[in-house]
Formats: sequence, structure tokens, C-alpha cells
Amino acid sequence: MTNVIKVVRLQLLNRTTYVYMPLLILAGALLLALLVFALIPTSEAKYGFGAAGAPLWSFLVVGVQALTLTFPFSQALSITRRDFHLGTLLTAALTSGMLAAAFAAIGVIERATHGWGMNGYVTLPSLGGDAPGTAFLAYFVIAMLFFVSGYFCAAINKRWGALALIAALVGLTLVLAVVILLVFRAGVAGEVEAWLVAQGALGLALWGLALLAVLGLGSLAVIRRMVP
Amino acid sequence: MNTVVEVNHLTKRYGATLALDDVGLALEKDVIYGLLGRNGAGKTTLMSMITAQAFPTSGAVKVYGEEPYENSRVLRRTCFVRENQKYPDGVKVGHALAMARLFFAAWDQSLADRLVADFQLPLHKPVRRLSRGQLSAVGVTIGMAARAEITFFDEPYLGLDAAARQTFYDRLLEDYADHPRTIVLSSHLIDEVASLLERIVVLDGGRVVMDESADDARGRAVNVVGASSAVEAFAAGREVIHTERLGRVASVTVLGRLEGEERARLAARGLEVAPVSLQQLIVRITEPGRSARPDEGRSRG
Repeated sequence: MTNVIKVVRLQLLNRTTYVYMPLLILAGALLLALLVFALIPTSEAKYGFGAAGAPLWSFLVVGVQALTLTFPFSQALSITRRDFHLGTLLTAALTSGMLAAAFAAIGVIERATHGWGMNGYVTLPSLGGDAPGTAFLAYFVIAMLFFVSGYFCAAINKRWGALALIAALVGLTLVLAVVILLVFRAGVAGEVEAWLVAQGALGLALWGLALLAVLGLGSLAVIRRMVP
Repeated sequence: MNTVVEVNHLTKRYGATLALDDVGLALEKDVIYGLLGRNGAGKTTLMSMITAQAFPTSGAVKVYGEEPYENSRVLRRTCFVRENQKYPDGVKVGHALAMARLFFAAWDQSLADRLVADFQLPLHKPVRRLSRGQLSAVGVTIGMAARAEITFFDEPYLGLDAAARQTFYDRLLEDYADHPRTIVLSSHLIDEVASLLERIVVLDGGRVVMDESADDARGRAVNVVGASSAVEAFAAGREVIHTERLGRVASVTVLGRLEGEERARLAARGLEVAPVSLQQLIVRITEPGRSARPDEGRSRG
């Protein structure tokens, strides 16, 4: 366990990657969104989800670099692959928690101020201010999924090459497309939609948590036999 | 003798390339090894396998009697900074050293500070922007200050100028004298590191072609120079690893020791006997087209 904590300390020695950068990108994107809201001369509701997305995309890149750059260094420091993996995901969880808290707080502010007094929103209204706890969990899961996706894809790329990664992504897209096609062919699209709505933000966040567990274990399986 | 690393029948295949071919090796406690050989001989691959950074195709590695793979108990007693070591994105030199300090129990900060001063390492400069020599110096600093019981240096001198290389050799010897440990120095600047080395392991084409004490290795071959005819007469029936001719003068390098009376006989025939440097010997026995192990050569001759 102590080694896992040491990996977290290693990751956080340089605060830029896991603390300052995500916060700076979030703040910058939020300010930009507010500026755009102020420039749009309409009283209708305006949505700038891209602002919420910006730190998430950057977090995906952090996931990639955790694997391509930090993993090889961890090997020079004689850290086991398992300890590196657990410590790195724990660090990502801390950053995800920080981002989720920021998103939840922004959601509460947007509700309270009617969209910053401009009817403009950067957070999903359905994850808004009435249930900050649910909003926090949902954003936490989303941020973690971004990180782990980058990390997992980088792991596949490093272990089996770019071709394998592209094949896996194309394969995944095809499977999803076929599933959607089958849903429509079977005429159950309405039922599926109803099911998704019935899950609510909390239910979907919990499903996301399950997906996260699968991706986390899957990436561990890949890096267990990876060479720096 | 106290074996810390045992390698048995280790083979590593990358596709059609055989990087390591049935390697057997034992490393003893508190000895400085030179792991020598040409580029692509398998030096880095061997060190990667011993530290479980890479996986053998077949064969076994034991470190302190245990499998090193995912075994923190033995891994933390080792340190292997690669020649082309990668560092986390955006880290500065100071960060990289602080990170290493977290993981090596015997880390000596005053030694690290001294090496930083010796190599004039800029602590606040991002590692990504370092020159090749500075990058090597970061690896050397981590490897030495870690004081791991088994430390591997992978061509640690790349990009370092002669003065910085000498600093590395001097500091290494000083620190080794106070804190003996097993050190494996992979190098192809053989003469430059020869004085540091206690044992020599030479890899060629993925095979161990020499594994003996530095003194034995040095005495393994001699150079004989003189009139062509006399030199040829001397070389007949011996294992010649190199011949040069200039007019009527010839020089041969032959494997084997020359004892006192034989030397006297050569001197009487006007032949000069000179020692062969470690580098010359290794260059000769790892020359392309000379795949025979010197041991085999000696038994034939």
C-alpha cells in the first residue's frame, strides 16, 4: 500500500499536470463561455458544454502521458506495474474529484443565478443544482472515464502498436453501430430511451462506475506485461 | 562469494531476431562488472530482463533468489536507468530527483547534490529541454544517489564530455569504496572504463563470449611484433585473432598466455611482445565473421 501512496506523491510532485492545468483550462473555458454568452443578444437559454468538455479532453491527454512517459520512469524507480497502476488511478481520482467538485459548484451557481444572469449554462441542466451530490458523482465518473480511456488506449498502442489500437477502436465503433441498428430494427428504441431516462443521472453514473471498473481492470491486464 | 543475480538459459527473441541466446550468468555481491559488447549485442535487453522491465522468451532470472517480476521486495534493491530513459511530461530536473528519492530507501541527498553541482545540472530546467549530456547526467545522478544494492548503468556517458565522464568514474569509485554494491556498467568505451572494472562480461550476438575477472581477461592475449617470417613461425598452430603486415614486419594478436621462458625465446628471435588492451581484445573477438568463443578457440589451438 505504501508504494501506491508513493506513486500518488510522485504524480503530484509536479502539480502542473494533475492540479493547475485542469483548473486553469476549466477557468479559461468558463470565462470564454461567459464572454460568448454576453455577446449573444438573446434571452433564450444558451448552452456552452464545450467549456465543461475542455478540461476533460485535456485529462484524456494526461491519461495518455501517464502511460507513455510516467510509466517508463516508474520502471527506472523499480516500481511494480501493479503499484504504478493503482497509484496513477488514485491520482486521477483525486483530480477527477477536484474537477467534479468544481462542476457541481458551477451547477449550483448557474441554478442560483439563472445562468450567470444571462441564461447561459456550461453544465448539463439535468445534472444541475438540485442534487449536487449526484452531479458530483456523475462528473467524477465522466472525468475518470476520460482519463482511463486515454490511459487504456495508450496502453494498447504501446503494447501492440497503432494498428491494433485503430482496429480496436474501429471494432468498438462497429459493435456500437450494430447494437444501435438492432435496437431500431427491433423497434425497441422507445423502450431503450425510456430505460435510459428511468436510470436518471444517478443510475447512469453508477453504470459508468461499472464501466470504469472494467476499463481499470482491463488496462491493468495490458500493462502487467508491458515493456517500458 | 555471494550471488545476487542468477541468469539461466535466458533467451529473448524479437520476431526473427535473437536478442539473447541461452545466456547464463551469475552476478556477485559488491563487484563492479563491465557489460561490454557491440551495439545490438543484447546488453540493454539483458539488463531489462534482470530488472523485470522486459520479459524473457524462455529461461529464468533470479534476483536474491527470487523472481523479480512484480516483486517489490527484490525490485526495490535494484536500479536501472535506461540510456534513453523517459521522464514524466513537464517535470524539471529537481522533480525527477525528488521522485527517485521517494522510492530508494538508501538515497543519499548530499551525494545527489554533489553530482548536480559536478555536472552543473539545472534543477529548474524541464528534462525535455536538456541536452543529451545533461540527460545522461540526470540518469547517472539517480543511479548513483539511489545506492541500490544492484545498480545498472546503461552507457551512462552518452553526450558527456571527457571531463564529465572522468567525474562520473571518479565519483563512482569513491562512493563504491565507502558503499560497496553490485554495479553493472554497460559500455563500449572499453579502455576508458577498464580501470574501474573487476569482472568483464562480453556479449556478442546475444551470447556471453567472455565472463571472467578483468585481470584474466587482460592476460588472455598477447601481441607479437617482428620480422614476418619469425612472426609467422610463432603464430603457427596458435589461435590468431588479428594480423597486420607492413612490409617485412608483421604483428599478430594471439590468444593465450606467454610464460617466462617462451618470452625469452621470442626475445632471442628479435620478436617484441606487447600486452593487448581490453578494448583491442574485445574488438577482435567480437569482429564480424568471428563468432567463435575464445574458449572454443583456445581448446582448438
